[in-house]
Amino acid sequence: MIPRHFQITMALVLLAILTSGLVIARLTHREEAITLRAADAAPVAPLVAGKQEHIQLLVAYDDDQALRWRPADVFLPADRGLRAKETLRSVLAQYLQNPSPHPLARGADIRDVYFIGADTLIVDTTAQFADGHPSGILLEEMTLASLIETLAANVPGVNKVKFLVEGKERETLAGHADLMSFYQTAAVHELAKEFK
Amino acid sequence: MIDPSHGGYDTGANFGGKLLEKDITLKLARELRKELEERGIASRMLRDSDVDVALDRRAEITNEQHAGIYIALHAGRPGRGVRVYTPRLVDPQPPAAGRFLPWESAQAASLDRSKAAAQAIVDELRKKDLTVATLGIPIRPLNNIIMPAVAVELAPEGDDVQSLESPKRNSGIVSAIASAIAQMRGQMGARP
Repeated sequence: MIPRHFQITMALVLLAILTSGLVIARLTHREEAITLRAADAAPVAPLVAGKQEHIQLLVAYDDDQALRWRPADVFLPADRGLRAKETLRSVLAQYLQNPSPHPLARGADIRDVYFIGADTLIVDTTAQFADGHPSGILLEEMTLASLIETLAANVPGVNKVKFLVEGKERETLAGHADLMSFYQTAAVHELAKEFK
Repeated sequence: MIDPSHGGYDTGANFGGKLLEKDITLKLARELRKELEERGIASRMLRDSDVDVALDRRAEITNEQHAGIYIALHAGRPGRGVRVYTPRLVDPQPPAAGRFLPWESAQAASLDRSKAAAQAIVDELRKKDLTVATLGIPIRPLNNIIMPAVAVELAPEGDDVQSLESPKRNSGIVSAIASAIAQMRGQMGARP
């Protein structure tokens, strides 16, 4: 005959083990969820593929309303399209860090890029790139000029660039900068000079 | 033609709280219209209430009305003072045959006059001791307009967004724009 106090002790121990197990499982699940969310919110980073290159990015600085070249080591694939995409994402990564010289919304990213012919590049951005972009003539123009000028400097043969948002045309970036036009890189080069 | 930019669901820039670009531009446009009337210059506004007018429609109305000049009013960060913008053609097209113009570069023939109008506004703003910057940029619908077209953007004085509603400052700005338009009047092909 097992004494009654021993039965109660054993039951309490089993209950404690069961409760601890449940608590540990729940904490682990929550930790995984937090890690996943943090990964989603992290600034876009270039793919670790291709050859690392020392390139120049034209970065917008809101405080002094200027565009300035900044060096960066980026892994760039040989394929022209992928190279264009990673170059653009490297510029966006500058804006998504904290503190940022030119803050953009979390989730601003390049979905895809593709060439029409040899010299015209279509850049498809995420909805957050446009929907969360601060509205203002100067802020919007600085974003486009920095992206296009960086492309022209690092991807040979790009003469025209057109932006889409989630695969569709949009009139403006955030109420001002024209997204309907094809941008000639030579014309943007002249614009970028005025920002320097 | 005075264009108080944005309107309706298109609020433009948000300066925190209830201060929206669409409201600032409408108020400023009404002041500019009054200032021009006092100088005997006829003007029209592309909107006189909180309604959304598509960008292409703004250009269509302006072109149909054969306005002498198109002035778009904006408000935005960063910086301070006033910025005066002229159109910039980012994908110039060769002139089409006949009477039709390429929509995306309809402004091409008036670009020099737009720059002259912008310079006149800059000069008048500087006379009022305002900080002024000027830049050629591709914003809609400036490139779709066939007559001289200029955009004027007010920036808040640093972090003081309430300065965008300063009666004294705004009165100086509309007075400068009106003076420049009055000077340009003789050089404009059509009205006013």
